[in-house]
Amino acid sequence: MIILKNLTKTYRGIKAVDDLNLHISKGTIFGFIGPNGAGKTTTIRMMTGVLRPTSGSIHINGFDIAREPSEVKRIIGLIPDRPFLYEKLSGVEFLRFKAGLYGLGGGSLTQEIRHLLKLFELSEWGDELIESYSHGMKQRLIIASALIHGPQVIIVDEPMVALDPRGAKLVRELFRERASKGVTVFMSTHTLSLAQEVCNRIAILDKGRIVASGTAEELEKQAGVEGDLERVFLTITGGVTGE
Amino acid sequence: MNNFRLLIAPRFVGFRNSLKRSQGSSKIKIMTLAGAVFLFWLILFALFCKVLLYFSSQEMIGDTLARHLLSMVILIFFSLLIFSHIVSALSNLYLAQDLELCHASPATLTEVFLSRSAHTVVDSSWMLIVFGLPVMLAYGVVYHARFGYYLSLLYVSFPLIVIAAGLGILVIMILVRFFPAQRARDIVFFLCIVLVIGLYLLFRFLRPERLVNPDAFMSIAQYLGALKAPDSPYLPSHWAADLIWRQLIGHPGGQILSHLLLWSTAAALVVIDTWAAGIVYFSGFSKAQEAKRRTRTGSRILDKTISLITRPLGPETTSLIAKDVRTFFRDNSQWSQLLLLGALVVVYLYNFSVLPLDRSPIKSVYLQNAVSFLNIGLAGFVISALSARFIFPAVSSEGKAFWIIRSSPLSARRFLWSKYVAYLVPMLILAEVLIIYTNYLLKVTAFMMVLSSVTIFLMVFGIVALGVGLGAVYPNFKHESIAQVATGFGGMIYMISSSVFIALVVALEAGPVYAILSSHFRQETIGPLQWVWIIGSFFVVILLQIVVVKKPMAAGLKFLSNYED
Repeated sequence: MIILKNLTKTYRGIKAVDDLNLHISKGTIFGFIGPNGAGKTTTIRMMTGVLRPTSGSIHINGFDIAREPSEVKRIIGLIPDRPFLYEKLSGVEFLRFKAGLYGLGGGSLTQEIRHLLKLFELSEWGDELIESYSHGMKQRLIIASALIHGPQVIIVDEPMVALDPRGAKLVRELFRERASKGVTVFMSTHTLSLAQEVCNRIAILDKGRIVASGTAEELEKQAGVEGDLERVFLTITGGVTGE
Repeated sequence: MNNFRLLIAPRFVGFRNSLKRSQGSSKIKIMTLAGAVFLFWLILFALFCKVLLYFSSQEMIGDTLARHLLSMVILIFFSLLIFSHIVSALSNLYLAQDLELCHASPATLTEVFLSRSAHTVVDSSWMLIVFGLPVMLAYGVVYHARFGYYLSLLYVSFPLIVIAAGLGILVIMILVRFFPAQRARDIVFFLCIVLVIGLYLLFRFLRPERLVNPDAFMSIAQYLGALKAPDSPYLPSHWAADLIWRQLIGHPGGQILSHLLLWSTAAALVVIDTWAAGIVYFSGFSKAQEAKRRTRTGSRILDKTISLITRPLGPETTSLIAKDVRTFFRDNSQWSQLLLLGALVVVYLYNFSVLPLDRSPIKSVYLQNAVSFLNIGLAGFVISALSARFIFPAVSSEGKAFWIIRSSPLSARRFLWSKYVAYLVPMLILAEVLIIYTNYLLKVTAFMMVLSSVTIFLMVFGIVALGVGLGAVYPNFKHESIAQVATGFGGMIYMISSSVFIALVVALEAGPVYAILSSHFRQETIGPLQWVWIIGSFFVVILLQIVVVKKPMAAGLKFLSNYED
């Protein structure tokens, strides 16, 4: 369960996130969409303890990120939009390093690493240095690393960046499968078709504030338009629908 | 040939544009650089004028010395030219980003090869020409050379540069024929480091300090023998030196063979390189495109060693240290510095082994202990300089991947102290080796041995804490190269703090150590008041160490906990 209460982040007098309130229940795939600079990544960075909120609170599965950051970080898996990794480690070494940060080790870890590499079609590349990976391979490795400790909440910023259609399908199915097991997925994306397809609930963020939220159907009603999420998004955020 | 002109044009047009359009700070940068080069140029010119004037005042041997010096200078320039062409050819012919565009164009392979070779020649030669000019001008001025001498410099330099380029490019084409270009770059980089270390060690082991000691040489013949350059009539630098010298002294005739050898070798190498390029250049370039991937990493032994040593620290710290060690040894710009460090330590210890303590007017036993005490400070500065390069950038070394640490359950405290432990152990070992071995060479008293070992041991805790702590206060996670981190404002603050800390420790201990040693050598007893002062001083030293460990680490921790990029 994710609870954001009156969450605000101000950068040099400009409110990047403005009084955000969200309540996301367990097992939900939550889509977080909005135009560039709406505050999506800032919200994610605050939820993962990388940024400190100016005011407000974040509770994840009952833990307050401000007071118990380590407990929160232990149960979340972050997938950022830009795959910055340790280029001089191999894929296997990176996964082992990441698991070590969560206090994991032993024989079962080796099994899990093998399983994740196979799942993300990286088995052949496991012993190669990350510097030789393509952008898409790095993204797949990051997703694998976010799952290595069995997180109860997955926080994703643009999951489909650089993924090929096979990789994108795999990630979609993976999110659904994890959500069915009670894992909450918080996903920021520009791929509106993805949000429409996999998310149980969607919130539209504009200029740091939530301007609409609900299921895809509820959003259509709020926007007063019928059709796909793109039309809803453009109507609500003041863009032109083109029709 | 039209394609050749087109292919070399972008570099020159780009250079012209950057000069034309430079404004503000970049103009100041260019002016400052030009000023610095000009100053260096003047100093070099004045230095050579002075040396040559001194030589010419020496009857009989003056000209011989000047001739030897000329041969040596040209040989060094020629060797550096070859090396610089090897380095630059690898990048210009195989690794440059615009090569794909060139090879995809309708230009022939020979045109591409020749244009990139032209870039290589320009990149490799301009600096040596700039710095060689004051030396050659100094010769001309001192020997009142005629116009023919200055003309001969151009006439001789051109084929000499072409020969160096031909050899350098040929070497790199052969290297890339057998190794992928990326691997060849590692080999060249490694050779560069070995060359620098070799020259450094060679220079030190030649013991240049002997030149100021008149007893060191038995005769002029021996002196000349010591100066003689490793010259050979088969070397192009020998032909060039021969031609230049004859012009200088006003006897230009009779060297047809040198003329022929120089120009025909240059022409032959152009033909050989072009022919060889037709056979191996494109296959090497093509391999360089494929060779960016697939780097096998066999590191089972390293894995086991690290996990064995760091097991008591828990899996989080083990993971972090293992990652740091692997990253360090896989980054050429990092591990290669260890070779330089090794050379530095060897020379440091060697210096102590050749100290002429027996020739000092001060009694040897006093001097040995005084040098040993000062050596605590010296070793401290060595550790401090190494820390500036390796430990201060430790936090910044996470780079853009720092999000992984920040979003993990690893606390900032644990992260920072893991870095501290990882660097403390090797620095302690190095510091103790420096101190104990130099004390052994100096044959110091047991008291000095214990005092200096304990002092440096404690001092390293402070130096490492300053490095890690201040490195966290002044991080640079967006660096292009890790070597940049230490050169910033934070690096300067670290060096000043660390130097002040070392100076304070040495100053606090100096009085008590002098009192103890004096009483020991004079066989006097130390009074109760003196004991209070001695114990008090050592107590303050320990207090200082505790403060220097705690404060910077606390500051670093506070900064990292509040860090937002």
